[in-house]
Amino acid sequence: MKRIAVITTIYRYLTHAQHFADRFLVGYPKEGKWHRPDMKVVSLYVDQKPEGEQSEDRAREFGFSVYPTIAEALRCGGDKIDVDAVLLIGEHGQYLTNEMRQVLYPRYEFFKECVKVFEEDGHAVPIFNDKHLSYSFEKAKEMVDDGHRLGFGLLAGSSLPVTWRLPDVELPLESDLEEALMVGVGGSDPMDYHALEAMQCMVERRKGGETGVTAVQLIDGDEVWDAGENGRWSLELLEAALSRSDTPCGLTDEDGRTQNLIGTGELQRLVDNPSAYFIEYKNGLKATLLMLNGAVRDYCFAGKLKDEPTPISTQFFLTPVPNVTYSACLVSKIEELFESGVAPYPAERTLLVSGTLESCLTSRHQGNVRLETPHLNVEYQAPAEPQHAHQ
Amino acid sequence: MDKRPKIAAIATIYHKYSHAQHIVDRFLEGYGWNSRHHYPPMDLVSLYVEQVRDNDLSKDRLERFPTMKGYPTIAEALTLGGEELAVDGVVLIGEHGEYPSNEKGQRLYPRYEHFMQMVEVFEKSGRGVPIFNDKHLSWNWGWAREMYDISQSMDFAFMAGSSLPVTWRTPSIDMPLGTSVSEAVCVAYGGVDSYDFHALETLQCMVERRKGGECGVQWLQAYRGDEFWNAHHEKLWSRELFESALCRSHTLTPSRPGFNNPFPTIDEMKEIVQDPIAYQYEHLDGLKSTMILMNGLVQDFNFAAYIGSDNEVLSTQMYLPMPPARTSLANFFSPLVNNIEKMFLTGEPTYPVERTLLTTGLVAVGVDSLHDGSTKQETPHLDITYQPAKESTFWRT
Repeated sequence: MKRIAVITTIYRYLTHAQHFADRFLVGYPKEGKWHRPDMKVVSLYVDQKPEGEQSEDRAREFGFSVYPTIAEALRCGGDKIDVDAVLLIGEHGQYLTNEMRQVLYPRYEFFKECVKVFEEDGHAVPIFNDKHLSYSFEKAKEMVDDGHRLGFGLLAGSSLPVTWRLPDVELPLESDLEEALMVGVGGSDPMDYHALEAMQCMVERRKGGETGVTAVQLIDGDEVWDAGENGRWSLELLEAALSRSDTPCGLTDEDGRTQNLIGTGELQRLVDNPSAYFIEYKNGLKATLLMLNGAVRDYCFAGKLKDEPTPISTQFFLTPVPNVTYSACLVSKIEELFESGVAPYPAERTLLVSGTLESCLTSRHQGNVRLETPHLNVEYQAPAEPQHAHQ
Repeated sequence: MDKRPKIAAIATIYHKYSHAQHIVDRFLEGYGWNSRHHYPPMDLVSLYVEQVRDNDLSKDRLERFPTMKGYPTIAEALTLGGEELAVDGVVLIGEHGEYPSNEKGQRLYPRYEHFMQMVEVFEKSGRGVPIFNDKHLSWNWGWAREMYDISQSMDFAFMAGSSLPVTWRTPSIDMPLGTSVSEAVCVAYGGVDSYDFHALETLQCMVERRKGGECGVQWLQAYRGDEFWNAHHEKLWSRELFESALCRSHTLTPSRPGFNNPFPTIDEMKEIVQDPIAYQYEHLDGLKSTMILMNGLVQDFNFAAYIGSDNEVLSTQMYLPMPPARTSLANFFSPLVNNIEKMFLTGEPTYPVERTLLTTGLVAVGVDSLHDGSTKQETPHLDITYQPAKESTFWRT
């Protein structure tokens, strides 16, 4: 039975640590069965213990120990690494933000503590890192490089790429993708990160695989609409993405009606401050994330395939609170990593998205300028098999 | 058809989140479909609304869509104020509104009465047009059967039912056509003579695809409260299928504080579910189906069955993006309206109305069984035979 260490910022009801770690303790729904991982959480490190936190309760009930340092958690209080895998969840908790409004979660720092133990003890084990690797591309890159250097499996990222899709579509590998657009909502950064990674898990399946991002630009306000009129992003793809939304605001909230948000002009009325994240890929693909707070409340993708008259589109289905069964979809991927030692999809996806987000936020911080991103020359191949929930 | 069909809508009431609002609005305002904002290629030209209350939206819709006219009677809505039938299709939405209930707790929605007024116009005009009837045909089995028989004898297309059979599924799967099915279970929520119907349609749209097609139901027995738990304990329905259905839910009520998604024990379920209900029934080919309402434990519709020679479990959730808690749009009405549109365009139902005739009968018998103290009811009148649509009709594009 694999032995798991949980390294987290905070363990409280409805935090990511509680969602993910609990599923290793009590099981989770998988393919129509209640699945109990053949793994045991043996140690926990938690950075912040505010009132209502659950780490000691869980340790007592499920028979593991809470350790004061990450090294001790990995060594279970002994002098050699004594776990088979690490669940690293640096999300939630009180941490500072920088001038680009990025929350400075200590994922890199936690990860480096693990790497230090791996190096000192001469044995490395797989790590799952929740969400983006770090707010800083440089740090994220070092994390991925550590994984390659020491030869341990590294999986990272959001639940959106692996949750249910409405409809259940996957871009065929080697698709001739001409343009992509994602609609997202929520604050920056965390929610723009989720939206960017959802878009990336689709576009990485294009012809030639992923070859990296050459430039980005983030614009805000009415210029976003002007850019649409000028063809910088596709109105047709926006219509396709919105056709998948179950949550239009405004008149739909008022009286339940369906709305052609673009055709009626309501979209512009509803969104006070739209943002567009323009991403230029090395192979020429243009992709745009539109953050449309006020218009909808879900995450929808649309892509234009060459010679296909109708765009492909889908909603990344964020299943209801409190079950958030989308996190069960991700835990099943984490379990796959822990069991086999091999990540079911490359951490380079998350590395590229971490860096793309950082550069987009830098663009905003520097007055919405277009930034060349030669450092984002991240290359990888998408997994051949679909990884999202579909069974 | 060279010109755009003209459609009449006959509704009991038209307010926010009423079925009339969900369905008629989609004809008027269009809806998201296959990467477009789709406008049905037909015109909703007339509207009859029986109850206009303070929360009415029909006035607003008539003002904003002047091509649609309101009429004070069903006959006038169908003749557009003239002498003869003047529309090419009718949507009949007898759901919501203030109507009395009978001693068995059935809400006496006037679907049959409205239907018969349409038939009168059809008879006078010497022809009928396709009708879509929202939800079950009638609370009264005899009337439901009469509605079906009239549609057969007058030979007009007739379609009915719930949106459960046509909505998204997670996972997006159908019952393989022609496979053997030995037992089926649906675990859902809601009330008697309301959501029980949706759960029965959920079951029926799957099991009708089994080997030989549907052959009818021979008996039904309902269970409630302690009798439900006794039946559960005695494994009158498969524990494995029941649990598999629960494992498809996205809304399992946490049975322990501080945990967001644990699997409940039986004792915890008994705490959570105040009034569990089951309708168990046996089809004429021996298939046993069980419809279970677990109010408090789930808020979705989940299906599981043993299929094939190895009794493999097939399970899925029929997903309803239900406002206002989860969404703002009840988009499960989009595939329903899309199927209705297809019937109006082709004159052919996309799935058989016999499904809903059978589920209508099952609701009535379920209510009777509960009313008679959970007695077993023989159902010789439910010997309803039909074949399913060959192609899947649920939302998957």
